[in-house]
Amino acid sequence: MLQVENLHAGYGTSEVLTGTTLHVKQGSVVALIGANGAGKTTTMRAISGMIKPASGRVLLGGQPVQGLSASRIAKLGLAHSPEGRKVFGPLSVEDNLLLGAYNHLPMFFGFRGRAAEGLEKVYALFPRLKERRLQAAGTLSGGEQQMLAIGRALMANPKVILLDEPSMGLAPVIVQEVFNIIRRLKESGVTLLLVEQFAKSALEVADYAYVMERGRIAVEGTPAQLHQNERVIAAYLG
Amino acid sequence: MLKRLLLLRGTEIIVLALLACIPLTVSNSYLLGLLTLLTIYGILLIGLDVTVGYLGQVNLAQAAFLGLGAYAAGLSVSLLGFGMMGALGVSLLVGLVLGGVLAFPALRLEGPQFALATLSFSALSTTVLNEWDGLTGGAQGLSLNRPPLFGQTLGASGFYWLCLVILALVWMGMRNLLASQWGRAFEALRDSPIATDAMGVGTFRHKVAGFALGSSLGGLAGGLYAFNFQYLQPQSFTYDLMVILLLGVVLGGRKSLWGAFFGASLIVLLPNLLSNRILFEVISAAGLLLALVAGGRGWMKKTTKPFQALAPVIAMGMLVAGGFMVENTENWRKAIFALMLFSVVVGLPDGIMGFAARYLTKLFRISPSALPPASNLDDVLPLGKSSGGVLLELQALKRYFGGVKAVDGINMQVKKGQVHGLIGPNGSGKSTAVNVISGLYAPTSGEILLDGKPLPRGSLFKVARAGVSRTFQNLQLFGELSALDNVMLALKGAYRVPLPLVLLGFSRAEDSRAKADALALLALAGLADQAGMRAKDLTYGAQRFLEIARALARKPELLILDEPAAGLAHPDVSVLVSIIKSIRERGITIILIEHHMDVVSELCDTVTVIDSGQVIAEGTPDEVKRDPKVIKAYLGVAPDEPVAMPA
Repeated sequence: MLQVENLHAGYGTSEVLTGTTLHVKQGSVVALIGANGAGKTTTMRAISGMIKPASGRVLLGGQPVQGLSASRIAKLGLAHSPEGRKVFGPLSVEDNLLLGAYNHLPMFFGFRGRAAEGLEKVYALFPRLKERRLQAAGTLSGGEQQMLAIGRALMANPKVILLDEPSMGLAPVIVQEVFNIIRRLKESGVTLLLVEQFAKSALEVADYAYVMERGRIAVEGTPAQLHQNERVIAAYLG
Repeated sequence: MLKRLLLLRGTEIIVLALLACIPLTVSNSYLLGLLTLLTIYGILLIGLDVTVGYLGQVNLAQAAFLGLGAYAAGLSVSLLGFGMMGALGVSLLVGLVLGGVLAFPALRLEGPQFALATLSFSALSTTVLNEWDGLTGGAQGLSLNRPPLFGQTLGASGFYWLCLVILALVWMGMRNLLASQWGRAFEALRDSPIATDAMGVGTFRHKVAGFALGSSLGGLAGGLYAFNFQYLQPQSFTYDLMVILLLGVVLGGRKSLWGAFFGASLIVLLPNLLSNRILFEVISAAGLLLALVAGGRGWMKKTTKPFQALAPVIAMGMLVAGGFMVENTENWRKAIFALMLFSVVVGLPDGIMGFAARYLTKLFRISPSALPPASNLDDVLPLGKSSGGVLLELQALKRYFGGVKAVDGINMQVKKGQVHGLIGPNGSGKSTAVNVISGLYAPTSGEILLDGKPLPRGSLFKVARAGVSRTFQNLQLFGELSALDNVMLALKGAYRVPLPLVLLGFSRAEDSRAKADALALLALAGLADQAGMRAKDLTYGAQRFLEIARALARKPELLILDEPAAGLAHPDVSVLVSIIKSIRERGITIILIEHHMDVVSELCDTVTVIDSGQVIAEGTPDEVKRDPKVIKAYLGVAPDEPVAMPA
C-alpha cells in the first residue's frame, strides 16, 4: 500500500534521511523505532509531503506521490496524525473531526449529511469523543486529544495513516489505552505506520518493524525476529 | 584566531581611515554633505537596529526621535546658548528619557500593538512640533546656527570629522555592548521572554533599556542632523522617513553594524543615483544580475524554493524595464525602493550584509573564534553534601482558573538533597503546581516556603533570583543563540561590570571566564562538542539536555525538571538518567515531573502522586506503585503484571 524507496530528505543543507526504504502492506501495522534524531519524524514528514524529498520515491497504492504538496497527498488517501497531537484548540471536537473530512466532502451543501457516516464510525470507536463533541478541543485531556487526532485522521477515510508518537507526554494508564486503540484500529483493517518511543509496546501491536539509525533502516523484521536480535535488545528494548 | 581579528578589525579601521581622508583630497561640498548625512544616518540606523534587529519589534518611532533630538539640540542652542557638546548631550538625553517613557507602556505590548503604539507616538510628536508655534516656529521651521565646539567654529569638513568620530565611538560602544551579556539578553528575550525571566534575566528591564538606548542614538543623530542642515521643519520627520529607515535596516541586514552602515549609505546615495539615468540603468542591471546568479545557484543546489529564486528576478526585471519606460526616475523613487525591498526580503532574508557576511566568511575561511578550555566543573558547581532538613514546603497551595480547581490544596515537603518525583494523570495539576512554585502563575491561596522563608509569588524573575531554576515541558530555548550562549545567558553571578564600562569594552575578561564555566556545564550535559551550534539546530534530545545545562547555570538550590524524558527514545533516556544522577551528587535538590515510571523508580527518593489537584499518595517509588489509588488513577496495572497484553 505504501512503499518508500531510497528516500533522501532533510532541512536546508543538512540531510537527515540518507536512503530510507520501507514497505507497509495493506491492513498491516508497521512500527518505526529508533533514537532521537535518527530520522523517524523526518521520514513521516517526507512521506506526507510536509517537506520535499531530495531524491527517492514514495508510492501510495502504487502511485508515485513524492514531490507533491501535502494537501494533494492527503487527498490521494494519506492521513498524518502529527507528533504532539496538534488539534485545533479553540474549535469543538466535532469541528475538528469535520475538518479531517474536508478533502472529500462537498464545499457548500450536504456537508454534514455526507460526513455523518464518518462521524458515526469515529464515535463508535471513541465513545468519549461523542460525549464531548461540543467541547473545545483544547480543553480535552492529553489522552482525549490523542483520540481526537486519530479520529480526525480516520475521517479522511485514508488508505494509510501515519501515527507519530501517539504516547508522547501521556500518563501510563493513558498510554495503555492508546495502544488498545491502535489494536482496535488494526482489527478494523486500517493500514498504519507507527512511530513510537515505547519500542516494547510498539512491537507488541506491530506486524512488522523497522529500526532507524542515522537516517536509514538499520534492522528490519517481524517483532519475533527483532526480539532475537541482540543489538536491538541492548539499544532499544533494554 | 589572529586572522579573524586582523580581517574584522582591519576592515573597520581601513574604512574609517578612508572616510576620514576624503575631505583632505576632494574639495566637493556636495560630496561632503552626502558623507556627513551618511554618518548621521549610520548612527540613527544602529539605534533602530537595536529594536528592529535584536529585540525583534517593529519600531515606527525612530524618525520621531530624530526630530525630537534635532529640535532639542536646536532649541538648547538658540534659547539656552549651549555649545556643541552640551547641545548634543541634551539631544541624547531627550531621546533616552522619552524613549524610556514610551517603552514603559509600549513594551508591555507585543508585535502589531507595539508597532501601533510607536506609530501613535510619532504622530503625537510631529503634531506637537508642528503646532507649538511659540517654541518650535511651527510649520515655518526653525533656523539655527551651528554652535562652536570647545570655542572653535566648525567648517563643513570639521563638522564631518566630528560626525565621523561620534559614529566610530557609537560603533565601538555598540560592538562591546552586543558582545556582552546585554547583547545576549536582547536576543534571548526575542526568542523566549518566559525563559529569559526564568533564568533570572529581567525581560522588562532589558527591553526598556534596549529601546531607550536605540532612541537615545536617534536623539543624538537628531542633534547632528540639526547642526548639519541648520534649518528644521516638522514635516521632515514623518512616516515617509520612517518607512525609508526601516527599509535601510532590512536592506542592509538586521543585527549587524555593517548592515546599518550599508543601509545608511543606500538611503543617502540612492536618491542621488536615481537622478542619473545611466547610473540607474547600471545599478538595476547589476541588481538583476545578482538576482539571477543568486537565485540560479540556489535553485540548482535546491537550497531556495522556486518562488524565492524567481520573484527577485521578476522584480529586478521590472526595474530594468521601467528604467527605459518612465521619463523621470526620481518621481518613481518610492516604487523603486519598494521593488528593491521586495527583492531583498524575498531573496535575501538576512539582508545584503547578512548574505555578504556568509559569503565572505567562506571566502576568507574565517573560523569562529576559538573557545577557552572548560573550567573545572567542581569550581562551577561545587560537590556538596546536603545538610538534611526541608528545602521546599507547600502549605495548602491552591490555584484556580475561573471555576477550574487546577491545584486544590496541596501540602508537600521536599527534603534537601533528594530527588522528589511528582506524578499523576494528564491534567491532574502537576504542571500547574510547578508553574505556581516557579512564579509563572500566582497562587490563589496557600504558602510556598523555601528554606523556611516565603518564596516570591507570581514572578518568574524573582523566584529565579531566589534560587529556584526550572526546565520547560515544551522547550523554551533561545533558538537563535548558540548552545554556549544559552548557558552563558543564565550563568549566575558572572556579570558584574557596570554598563558604562561594558560600553568601553571592559567586560571581555568576565565574558571569557563565563564562557569557560558554561563549557563545563555543557560538558556535564554531554554537549561539549556542540557548543557552537544554534540551539534550534540541535537534535531533540540535545535540546532537552541543553535546557538542563542552562537551568544548572543558575546554580540553583532547587531544580525543577518538567517532563525531561518526554519524547526521548530509549538510548537518550539512559543518558538523561545519568545526567540527573550527577546533578544529585552536587547536592542540588530536584523536583522531577515524569511519566516514564522506570525513570521515576530509578531516580526518586520520594514520590508524590497528584490527581484532580490533590495529593492522593506519597512515599517511596515502590510504596506508591503498589497503592491501589495510584494504580487506578495513573498506572493502570500493578507493577508485577505485564505492561500490556501480547497482540
